[in-house]
Amino acid sequence: MTKRLLQGNQAIALAAVKAGLNFFAGYPITPASEILHELVNQKTIKVLQMEDEIASINTIIGASLAGAKSMTATSGPGFSLMQESIGHAHMMEVPLVIVNVQRVGPSTGMPTFPAQGDILQCKYGSHGDYFPIVFYPNSVAELYEYTFNAFNAAEESLSPVIILSDSYVGHLYETIEEADYPISKRTLAPLGTSNRHFTGLTHEGSIPETSDPEVHKKLMKHFKTKQKKVSRKYKGYEYIENKSSDILLIAYGALSRAAYDLKEDFAIYRPVRIFPIVEKLRDIAKKYKEIVVMEMNAGQYVNEVEGLLHRQVKRISIMGGKIDLNEISTKLRRIKKKK
Amino acid sequence: MTKELTYLNYLKQDRLPHQWCPGCGNGIILKLSCLAMEKLNFPKKGTVMVSGIGCSGRSAGFFDLDSVHTAHGRALPVAEGIKLANEELNVMVISGDGDLFGIGGNHLLHASRRNTDITVICISNAIYGMTGGQCSPTTEISSKTLTTPRGNVDTPVNVQAIVTAHNCFYARSTTYHFNHAMKCIFEALQHKGFSFVEIKSQCITNDGRRRGFKNSYEMLMSYKENYKINNSTNELEHNEIGIIK
Repeated sequence: MTKRLLQGNQAIALAAVKAGLNFFAGYPITPASEILHELVNQKTIKVLQMEDEIASINTIIGASLAGAKSMTATSGPGFSLMQESIGHAHMMEVPLVIVNVQRVGPSTGMPTFPAQGDILQCKYGSHGDYFPIVFYPNSVAELYEYTFNAFNAAEESLSPVIILSDSYVGHLYETIEEADYPISKRTLAPLGTSNRHFTGLTHEGSIPETSDPEVHKKLMKHFKTKQKKVSRKYKGYEYIENKSSDILLIAYGALSRAAYDLKEDFAIYRPVRIFPIVEKLRDIAKKYKEIVVMEMNAGQYVNEVEGLLHRQVKRISIMGGKIDLNEISTKLRRIKKKK
Repeated sequence: MTKELTYLNYLKQDRLPHQWCPGCGNGIILKLSCLAMEKLNFPKKGTVMVSGIGCSGRSAGFFDLDSVHTAHGRALPVAEGIKLANEELNVMVISGDGDLFGIGGNHLLHASRRNTDITVICISNAIYGMTGGQCSPTTEISSKTLTTPRGNVDTPVNVQAIVTAHNCFYARSTTYHFNHAMKCIFEALQHKGFSFVEIKSQCITNDGRRRGFKNSYEMLMSYKENYKINNSTNELEHNEIGIIK
């Protein structure tokens, strides 16, 4: 095993190549461009710079169906453009990996500053129901490891898997060990070998069926079951117990790195598998009187946590891309007082 | 003795008859594509059909090939991804004018610029037929549609200019000129690089009837009258059909 100093974005690119990436299509965007920059120098894969993010995701859908392990990388604005095709890829069951290095939004926002505003978009961004697998690592080493996991989960679930990052973790340099992780093989036969029809219409096998509600119900059930089953294979959280505290602080991504500094005073829970939400949190949360979700948005994951726990959860919003421990501590103190 | 219709082997015959309206041009273009593929001995395994959204988008599902029915406007990037991931495959796109020039117009610009080796057959009926007959990017000026009740005022898109600007194969034909249209597809499929065949086609249900045509036969006859074959040119006039390599 070799040790190497890598940037977060670079780690994703290099791990993807090791995980079997054959095809990458993307469009330049801050703060995700380094992934594209790193991959164009790789000789074993095909890399395309497309006209926009819509073309990028559709090109990798085609490439993946044709047998290539495929990936794209973007940030919020591009991720928004991709939403329709993400739903399409779920409907056609195409294995893909999509990296979203988040920045402050909405719209152009603050392109170089980190944010966590795309959490719910991952799950609800495309129209209709789908059940995505989403990972959000918080260090360079973890980005490296979870890139393998994302490729494997994509192949196993035949669905687009999302790696969330943010401009802080994406641009962070850390020394990591370039370990080898197991790689899942492609099970989907490539195009040109049969007479299948891949369609975004509700379908039964290869036949589009748009008038029988039962077919649609069956399809949705199939999606939900397989996504849950595959996601269980990936350990999705970090839990730092604190017996002297009755507050559980939940944070993820860049912000969770600041939360580590508070582990003397609070128990800390950090989800890595953001969706499907890790059910183990139910058991962990039972031990604490108060649950606080701290995130770099106006309150997104907190709603998912409340939905899982069926109890009221406090929220702390850190907005504008600046992570300031003083601000966090003040807000936490206020919650402690109110209690 | 009837001749065996071997071109039907390229279609999923258990899915026939197709569900398009009586008089629609899509069926003609389905047959043309099969005939051209048969003439070139395209293997069924090794050929991929891609389509977009709309009436024409349903084409791909009828072929007895691996096929992809993409999101609206995205047939070209999906087809490019397929071709670039496996260059051994023959990749064909069948889609409509609204899909290829409207919502997917940017991809046409860039797919032709990249000169990806795919063949695009555009069923160009100058209308959004599936949604009820709205004005499309190829609707003629002053033509009446659901959304242009007093006549269209916008210039129809000049596909020839876009495709030939990047030195790609461009052919135009109509559903009336059956043999000519087949020749266009036949040559396009043999062309190395991006090839585009625009076939003017009739939609009687949601276009022709609003413009005073009694049936699709009359629409076909209007193609006969209005379009002249020109085989020796570098640029087709708006009333000419032909091939530009």
